[in-house]
Amino acid sequence: MWKKLPIWGKIIIGMVLGLIWGLIATKIGGEKFTLDWIKPFGTIFLKLLKMIAVPLIFVSLVKGISSLTDMSKLSRIGMKTMIYYIVTTLIATSFGILVGHIAQPGNTFPPEKKAIYQQKWEKTLNDKQQLADESKSYPLSFVEDMVPDNFFLAASDNTKMLQIIFFAILFAVAMVMLGQKSVYVSDFIGSLNFIVLKIIDIIMKYAPIGVFALLAGVIVDFSGDADIFIALGRYFFTVVIGLLSIIFIFYSAYIKLFTRVKLKDFYKAMLPAQLVAFSTSSSAATLPVTMKQNVEELGASEKVSNFVLPVGVTINMDATAFYQAVAALFIAQVYGIELSIGQQIIIVLTATLSSIGTPAVPGGSIVMILIVMGSVGLPVEGIALVLGVDRPLDMLRTVINVTGDSTINLIISQSEGELNYPVDKTKISES
Amino acid sequence: MKKKIPLWLKIIIGMILGVVWGLIAVNIGFEKFTADWIKPWGTIFIKLLKLIAVPLIFISLVKGVTSITDISKLSRIGIKTISLYLASTVISIIIGLVLVNVLTPGATFPEQKRKEFQAQYEQTVKEKEIQAAEVKDRSPLYIIEEMVPDNIFLAMSDNTKMLQVIFFSILFAFSMILLESSKVLAVKNLFDSLNDIVLKIVDIIMKFAPIGVFALLASLVTDFSGDADLFLALGKYALLVCLGLVGLIVFLYPPFILLFTKIKLKTFFKALFPVQMVAFSTSSSAATLPVTLRQCTKELGVSEGVANFVLPVGVTINMNGTSFYQCISAIFIAQVFGLDLTLMQQLTIVLTATLASIGTPGVPGGGIIMMVIVLSASGIPAEGLALILGIDRPLDMIRTAVNVTGDAAVSAIVAHSENELDYSVQKNFSS
Repeated sequence: MWKKLPIWGKIIIGMVLGLIWGLIATKIGGEKFTLDWIKPFGTIFLKLLKMIAVPLIFVSLVKGISSLTDMSKLSRIGMKTMIYYIVTTLIATSFGILVGHIAQPGNTFPPEKKAIYQQKWEKTLNDKQQLADESKSYPLSFVEDMVPDNFFLAASDNTKMLQIIFFAILFAVAMVMLGQKSVYVSDFIGSLNFIVLKIIDIIMKYAPIGVFALLAGVIVDFSGDADIFIALGRYFFTVVIGLLSIIFIFYSAYIKLFTRVKLKDFYKAMLPAQLVAFSTSSSAATLPVTMKQNVEELGASEKVSNFVLPVGVTINMDATAFYQAVAALFIAQVYGIELSIGQQIIIVLTATLSSIGTPAVPGGSIVMILIVMGSVGLPVEGIALVLGVDRPLDMLRTVINVTGDSTINLIISQSEGELNYPVDKTKISES
Repeated sequence: MKKKIPLWLKIIIGMILGVVWGLIAVNIGFEKFTADWIKPWGTIFIKLLKLIAVPLIFISLVKGVTSITDISKLSRIGIKTISLYLASTVISIIIGLVLVNVLTPGATFPEQKRKEFQAQYEQTVKEKEIQAAEVKDRSPLYIIEEMVPDNIFLAMSDNTKMLQVIFFSILFAFSMILLESSKVLAVKNLFDSLNDIVLKIVDIIMKFAPIGVFALLASLVTDFSGDADLFLALGKYALLVCLGLVGLIVFLYPPFILLFTKIKLKTFFKALFPVQMVAFSTSSSAATLPVTLRQCTKELGVSEGVANFVLPVGVTINMNGTSFYQCISAIFIAQVFGLDLTLMQQLTIVLTATLASIGTPGVPGGGIIMMVIVLSASGIPAEGLALILGIDRPLDMIRTAVNVTGDAAVSAIVAHSENELDYSVQKNFSS
C-alpha cells in the first residue's frame, strides 16, 4: 500500500504526521526529545538538498543551454526567443515579489508574538542584516557580485548561486559557440546530468521522513502556534490567485498587444493543453498537445513552433519563478525577517535565472527554492511549510508555464510574419 | 644499485638516518638548522599526501563502488566492513581496559608531579574543555548530521570533512549503478582515467617518501629532545601504551588474518611495513591512505573494488589504536586521582570511546577533544588531561600505525570472504 502511493502522497502523510507529532510534543513537553532525536533527520534532508543544489544548477544550466546548438542556425529567432522568455519570466518574478508584499501571506502573527520569534531568530537576523548592509554599498554592486573571482570558492558557498549561474551560462555559451569541438565535455555533462537527477530521485525517497522531522521541528520551534496554519492557508491562496492573474492579466495583455489573435480563441485553443498540463504537471509531457493546438488551432507556423515550444519547455518557467519569489517572501515573513531592496533584486535574479535550469522532475523545484532562499540567507527550515502544498501548486504552475510558452510562440510567429490566423479550418481538415 | 632497494628499506634507511641526524643535531646545537632547513621537507611530504587524499577518496570510492554492480553484494560488503570495524574497535578497547586495570600504571604516580603537570597545561586543558562542551551541547545525532555535506565543494576543500566526501562519493556511485551503463559511460570513462592518474601521482609522491620520512623524524627528535624526561616521568604509562599498541599489531590482527584469510603473516607484515612507517612519521591515517591503498591492492592482492571502498571508510571510522589509547588514558588519569571506577563507568568509557572513534573527523582538533568528552562522560576530572598532553605526539604516531594496520586487515578479510583476494600477487611478491 505504502509502496504504491505516489511520492507527493507520502510527503503529505509525512507532513501531517510531523504536524501531529509537533503539536503533541509541545503539549506533553517533548520539545527537547523532538529537537534532539527528530529534528536532525529533517536537517539531514535539508543538507542533502543543499548538497545537490550546486551540481544541479551548474549541470542542468550547461546542459539546457548547450543543447540549443541550432541557436546559431536560427540565430535571429533564437535570440528573440531567449530574450522574450527571460523578459517575461523577469516580469513574472517581479510580480511575485509585488504579490508577496501586498498579500503578506506570512504575516499573520500579532506584533507581540512576532517580537518573540524575532528574538529567537536573532542570530540569523543579525547575520542577514550584515549581509544587507554590505550589499547596499552602491547601485551596481549586485551586478559586480554576480561575477565570481574564483569559481571553486563560489561553488563552495551556497549563498553564491548567482555567481555559479553566471559561470554556467558563460561556460555553456562557449560550448555552443564551439559546436562539435566540445563534444566530449557535452557527453560528460549529459552523463553527469543523469547522475544528478538520479541522486535527487534517491533524496526524494527520503523526503517523507525528512518532511516529517522538519515539520515536527518547526512546530516545536513555534511552540505549536496555530497562526502558522493560517499563514500557510493564506500562502496557498496567494499563490493560486497570483498564478491565475499571470494567465488572465499578463498573458492576455501580451496577446492583445503583440498579436492579432482574439483572446477568446486563444483560451479556447489553450484549454486542452492546460488540462493535460494540470493532470500531468509536466510541460514536457504536454508538449505534443501544445504543439498541435498552436499550429492547428491558432495558426502558428510549424517552423517557429518546432523551435520555440521545445525550448520553452526547458527554459521558460514563468510560474516556477513567480512561485519561488512568493515562497521566499513568505518564509521571510513567517520568520519576521525584513528583506532589503538589494536582497529582493537578488531573489528576482536568482529565481529568474535558475528557472532556466529547473529540471522537470519531482523535487527539482524544491531544490531551486532552496537555492533562491540560500542566496539571501533565509532560514531554510521554513521550506517544510511550503513543501506540503507544493504538489497541488505544481499542477497549476505547469498550466501557466505551458500557456506562457504558447504566448511567446504566437508573439514570435506574428513578428516573423508566420502567423496564419485565423486558421481556415476547412482547409486543414481537407489536407 | 639504488633502484634495487625496495621501498620499505629506503623508508627504514630514511627513518634511521633521521633519528641519527636528530640525535647529532641535539648534541651539537643544530636544532635551528634542522627546523629551518630539514623540517620543511617533511612538511612538504605530508602536504603532498594530504593533497592527493580527497581526489583519491572520491575517485577510488566511485570506481570501487561502481565496479561492484551487484547492489546486494555492495550492501553485504558494507555491512561486513562496518561490523568488522566496530568489532575490532570494541576488542581493542576491552584489551586496553584489562591491561590498565591489571597493571595500574597510575597508582604509584607521585603527587607532586601531578600538581606540576596540572599547572603547566592548565591553559590548554581549559581550551579543550570549552571546545568539548560545545560538542556535547549538540544533539546526540550530530555525528550522523555531520556526515552529510551541505555543499560538496566546501567539504572537498576541507581535509577534516573526509566523511562528508565519502558520503557524497558513495551516493554518487550508487546513482551510477542504478542508471543504465550507456547513460553514465562518459563519466565512468573519465573516472577510470582519473583513477590511473591519481595512482600515478601517489607513485611519484612515494618516490619522495624516504626523504620526507628522514626530515620528519629528524625534526621530531629535535623537537622532543627537551621533553624526554617527561616521557621518563610518565614511564609506566608511556610504556604500557607503547607496548599495548605494539601488542595490538602483533597479537590482535595476526589471529584474524590467519583465521579468516590465507595470507601468510610474513607477507602481510612485509606489505604493510611501508604503510606503518608512513603512518608513524605523518601520524595521519588520511595522509597515509594513498600508501595503504597502493600496498593493499598491489602487494596483498585485495581487489580494487573492495580496497577502494573499505579503506577510505576505515580511515575515518576505524580507529583501533585511538580508542585503545583513550581508554587506557582515561583509567590512568582516574588512578592518578585515586578514583575507583565502577563497572558502569568503565562501560561508559567503552561506549564513548567507540563512538568517539567514529565521530572524531567531524570535530576539528580531533583526538584530544574526544578525549575530554570520554573523560567527562565517565565522570573523570578533565584536568587530568594535563598529565598526558605532553607525550601525546609520540604516542599519536604509534596509534596511527595501529589504525592503518587495522584498516588493512579488515580490507583483506572482507576481500577474502567475497572472493576478491588475488593470492597470485602475493607469490610474486614473496619470491
